[in-house]
Amino acid sequence: MPDKSSSSLDDFEATLKNGAVDLLNCIEVGNYSNAIQIIQELSDARHKSFYNEVGNLTRSLHNAIKEFKVDSVDVELTGTDEPENGSKITDASDRLNYVVEMTSNAANKTMDMVDSSVPVASELQKQAKELRKDWGRLIQRDLSPEEFRQLYKRIDVFLSYADDSATTLHTNLNTILLEQGYQDLTGQVITKVNSLIRDVEEKLVHLVAVAGRIDSISGIEHDLSLKEEDDTRGHGPAIKNDNNPEVLNSQDEVDDLLSSLGF
Amino acid sequence: MKILIVDDFSTMRRIIKNLLRDLGFTNTVEADDGTTALPILQAGTIDFLVTDWNMPGMTGIELLRAVRADDKLKTIPVLMVTAEAKRDQIISAAQAGVNGYVVKPFTAVALKEKIEKIFERIDAGK
Repeated sequence: MPDKSSSSLDDFEATLKNGAVDLLNCIEVGNYSNAIQIIQELSDARHKSFYNEVGNLTRSLHNAIKEFKVDSVDVELTGTDEPENGSKITDASDRLNYVVEMTSNAANKTMDMVDSSVPVASELQKQAKELRKDWGRLIQRDLSPEEFRQLYKRIDVFLSYADDSATTLHTNLNTILLEQGYQDLTGQVITKVNSLIRDVEEKLVHLVAVAGRIDSISGIEHDLSLKEEDDTRGHGPAIKNDNNPEVLNSQDEVDDLLSSLGF
Repeated sequence: MKILIVDDFSTMRRIIKNLLRDLGFTNTVEADDGTTALPILQAGTIDFLVTDWNMPGMTGIELLRAVRADDKLKTIPVLMVTAEAKRDQIISAAQAGVNGYVVKPFTAVALKEKIEKIFERIDAGK
């Protein structure tokens, strides 16, 4: 029974295999003292391999955690009480708050512009309708000279109002256009945060892989059953839901479902 | 006709408020989740409730259930306007007694259609 100093699980498995064959042979020929000896050696090898593996894992785990330098994880493991100023996650969270703020500002500004444009358009329409009525009578030669003079003045007033209104609407539309610049700025922020998330995920996967090896030598099994999702709290907008039959993709599908329920 | 609009995002409340105004409903009040909406409803002047689902504190589905469980409020028509589009969620909203369900993003036409349909039903039931 070779006493290998190698620590890998593979080596231990090979040792175990060979030992088992030797053990069987010894038992078959009735050499029990040798058999006991082999069992003892296998047990020692298992302990040795176990301790070596734990040593390796501790080192891997330490490295993985060192790589995974974020926020509370870092603070907790190094045991320092000083807050990590400008950690990536805090920064990302601030950046996302900025996106929320910026999209909200843009939406409000756009709605302000719509709110101030709607009455202008309505007034323009109202005045044009009234003028058109009298203009029609003019064409029909149905206007008295006094009414004609009134119309003459009103057209002048209307043209000046139309000019001013068009300027107002133009300015408002331009403001709305410029407000859409939020998409560029928030897009950049989201792209940055996205790459951070991928980075963190990669490191987490590494941590999980290390943890998985710990499970395999210690024989710990986890309950992998998925937690039931709680619909009450809501999930937010569904994204890329073409492949999920549980998520409806349009108002029409919702209407169909409701009508199938007797709505 | 006084309408209560419940949504945690002020921009969405504003959009709905403007659309309702275009439909001729000018008397609206706002709340940002179920917890703030309930006292307004219990004050007794609301004729119609438009609510989001996903909100901090009390959610829209919880608000709907609370309304239906309250003897004074249970007849108020409730329209859900929400991004929640899971089959099970729509079914549970229907079971909880929702009167209409509009998924975000929605159009002015869809909102108008659902509101009109709700009133048609109410009139037919009278």
